[in-house]
Amino acid sequence: MNVEHVLTTCPYCGTGCNFYLQVVDGRLVGVVPCKTDEISLGKLCIKGYNAHAFVQHPDRLIHPMVRQGGDMRRVSWEEALDKLASEIKRIRDKYGPDSIAVLASAKCTNEENYLFQKLARAVIGTNNVDHCARLCHASTVAGLLYSFGSGAMTNTIPEFDNADCILVTGSNTLEAHPIIGSRMLRALEKGAKIITVDPRDTPLSRLAAIKLNQKSGSDIAWINGMIKVIIDEGLVDGEFVETRTTDFAKLKEAVSGYHLDKVESITGIPKDRLAEAARVFAKSKRAMVAYAMGITQHSNGTDIVKALANLSMVTGHLGKESNGLNPLRGQCNVQGSCDAGGLPNLYPGYQRVDDEQTRAKFEQAWGQRLPPKPGLTLTCAVKDALVGKLKAMIIFGENIMLSDPDITHVEQALKELELVAVVDIFPTETSSFAHIILPAACYAEKDGTFTNTDRSVRLLRKALAPPGEAWPDWKIACELAKRLGANGFDFASPAQVMDEMAKVTPIYGGIDHSRLDSEHLRWPCPTKDHKGTPILHTQKFTKGLGTFAPVHHKPPAEEPSEEYPFILTTGRNLFQYHTGTMTRRSPKLEREAPEPYVEINTGDAKRLGIVDGERVMVSSRRGAISLKAAVTDRIIPGSIFIPFHYAEAPANRLTNAALDPVSNIPELKVCAAKVQKA
Amino acid sequence: MLPELAFDKLGADLLLAMCEGHGNVGPIVISKGEKMAKVRTDVPYQLVTILTNIYPFIGQKKLALLCRRCDEKALAELEKRGLVDEKRVLRIGLACSADQIKACRCSDPVPSVVHIGAPGKPAGEDELMNKLLAMPSEERLKFWTAQFRKCNKCFACTLNCPVCFCDDCVLEERTFVAEKGIPPGMSFHLIRTFHLSDKCVECGECERSCPAGIPLLTLRKMAAKDMKALYGFVSGDKKKVSPLLTTLEGEPMEDECHEC
Repeated sequence: MNVEHVLTTCPYCGTGCNFYLQVVDGRLVGVVPCKTDEISLGKLCIKGYNAHAFVQHPDRLIHPMVRQGGDMRRVSWEEALDKLASEIKRIRDKYGPDSIAVLASAKCTNEENYLFQKLARAVIGTNNVDHCARLCHASTVAGLLYSFGSGAMTNTIPEFDNADCILVTGSNTLEAHPIIGSRMLRALEKGAKIITVDPRDTPLSRLAAIKLNQKSGSDIAWINGMIKVIIDEGLVDGEFVETRTTDFAKLKEAVSGYHLDKVESITGIPKDRLAEAARVFAKSKRAMVAYAMGITQHSNGTDIVKALANLSMVTGHLGKESNGLNPLRGQCNVQGSCDAGGLPNLYPGYQRVDDEQTRAKFEQAWGQRLPPKPGLTLTCAVKDALVGKLKAMIIFGENIMLSDPDITHVEQALKELELVAVVDIFPTETSSFAHIILPAACYAEKDGTFTNTDRSVRLLRKALAPPGEAWPDWKIACELAKRLGANGFDFASPAQVMDEMAKVTPIYGGIDHSRLDSEHLRWPCPTKDHKGTPILHTQKFTKGLGTFAPVHHKPPAEEPSEEYPFILTTGRNLFQYHTGTMTRRSPKLEREAPEPYVEINTGDAKRLGIVDGERVMVSSRRGAISLKAAVTDRIIPGSIFIPFHYAEAPANRLTNAALDPVSNIPELKVCAAKVQKA
Repeated sequence: MLPELAFDKLGADLLLAMCEGHGNVGPIVISKGEKMAKVRTDVPYQLVTILTNIYPFIGQKKLALLCRRCDEKALAELEKRGLVDEKRVLRIGLACSADQIKACRCSDPVPSVVHIGAPGKPAGEDELMNKLLAMPSEERLKFWTAQFRKCNKCFACTLNCPVCFCDDCVLEERTFVAEKGIPPGMSFHLIRTFHLSDKCVECGECERSCPAGIPLLTLRKMAAKDMKALYGFVSGDKKKVSPLLTTLEGEPMEDECHEC
């Protein structure tokens, strides 16, 4: 009889709660919260409490498979890896290394992502490595690199407790990051003012002191409007602006035209309420901004992020405890997969691939010539596949057939490819297009680290063996690299991979698994005796002076028209997670939110003669889906909302793949749509 | 010291306690001969709940656990419903600290046998409860409505509860609590309060684990106060007192449905 409580990290959102997996003789029986965990304080959301439920599900992929004719045939690891390696070689020889893309994964560990990008760069010879961060915070990484020099949360999760004011925009925190939301509730209990700006009412906005509903795609207008109020009413933190920032004059000039009447007509936010929000935010001693996809997933997402950075700098709400700008990262390891270099233009630790000195450093470390040109982003890789420029995708734990915009085109792209290899824990909508499928271990079955949204590097501890013949992704990457003739992939454990990553990644320089076993470390942690960095930009910004960026409102790529009169916005609900691969196989979660729905405003529904629960057809210029109407006052008139979890009515059949020119993030939050009775 | 007590003196096969590890304090189960790190009694894990999670898998083994007074009472509630076997669950009496007693507003803090810790004095009545009871009922309703609006339906209150043991939970049934959406509404909390009124032992785990900070222990204490005043019933009695809401007076426990 062996009963173990294995401390590990939750596989769902980016909060990074630690909990204990209860294992009795190799059987996973439950989840127990960790009461001393600094992040979760012994609290979990419903997904965390059910994080054991999918692990031993009968649908798990348990042996490698290759396509033969129309069918998938079970094969040995030897055969599958040999086949994959020979296909990669064939395609590389015929079309060149840039005809191949590797998709890293925000669901995999730092160590695994480090290996994925090393495999792409040093073995296949391409910088075509990217992952779903492209769809969530690519614009944050680009925008905050410009404004501050570092694209991560400036503060820590516990600091929300002590804020006097929290401005939450484009984040449905209580549903998407419930335990961060619980911190906000603690602040609320202590008297903090919460300001929400969102086209939908959310569980948090219903508790907010100031609740503003803007039209989707109008964010820069309200942010610039707030900044103008702050400047006009003398609420600028002059000392901060003077000593810590540059280009304030440009900002002043840029916002001068954002009179509140004009802002109200663009955003729909009553001017007095917006002015009040600006005053409350500026006058609070400790004010934090939290934002997520509602800000980033726009065709001008990078500019919207810069606008929020402007707002934080102009009020001096940065670089101090409970003062800062905080992008809430969505995946358990999306922060880490970016940190580890799963990006086409950046090596691990945000070091540029097009910088010669940096490249030389990595060439020396990896003993290989490395490609100098930044690679394809995920969204561009799909476009290139459509026109036959990209020939192969090696996909580690991503489900682009549900998560990416305009999946009709994704489907065509996947069909065009000569090689689609999918490594995953379950069959997915994407793996049905695969030529080779490799079964992976899930979070509970391996060691490694996730980096959560507040830059805490958190250990995963193996609680049980992978099912069947499944392997952890790090082993798959190493074995594939060896078959492609590479050296430098002889790792006996993820701890050894982290040791190598730390050597070439200054912000992780002091991090190793033995320290993490008992210490809570947040990057930057440059040396072994460094205790980590809770708050960024305390003395100066990572780039030196913070830079104000003059940015302007721009309408979304697609606006409502006579034929498509609604604005469609997409997102998550509390009970499901992303493409549902895990949550839809967790009975208690599936029970709570078993089917797709479209939220439509009561007035709009009445006008169209639609009643709650009725089946409707929602369509855009790219496709149509049929699903139930959820008639509600929680969404503003003229807007509709569809969660993107459901393969039977995929929201991304409708969304627009219009890209932000800087970060290539797609405009998942705005497209024109129509609703009809089915 | 704890392993000797559990294995040598009490004759247990397994020991469930809290100890240090990985810079944290968490639950641990060891067999005789296995080592454990420093035991920590200051972090209040709900060990009876942890026990009930693993109980179906431990066969005929005897398990000793650290047992506060409320844990003893929870075990009594489980035992009298035939859900755990008294002979297989051995108690190591843990007297709560003054701080813990205060945090739980606990009126009955000393276990029947104390192995660890010094018996502490009971705390006074729950202040919030008294404040609420002094309010007009509309105001009280307003208070609870505002509290319940914060609920994020994580089910922590049921999952961590030592006396929540139904196989099919009514809170997961659509007749009582509509699926979809949060907050789940008042019925979620009130059904739970009434459903637990004949077994809640006021361990406070629901309140400690609630991410929304809803004062659930106060709610339970209010129900317990009424149960005592109206029916003279107090949960956690080891004797076979018939649970008020599930048995007709005079009927023997054997005929009782053990499911609810």
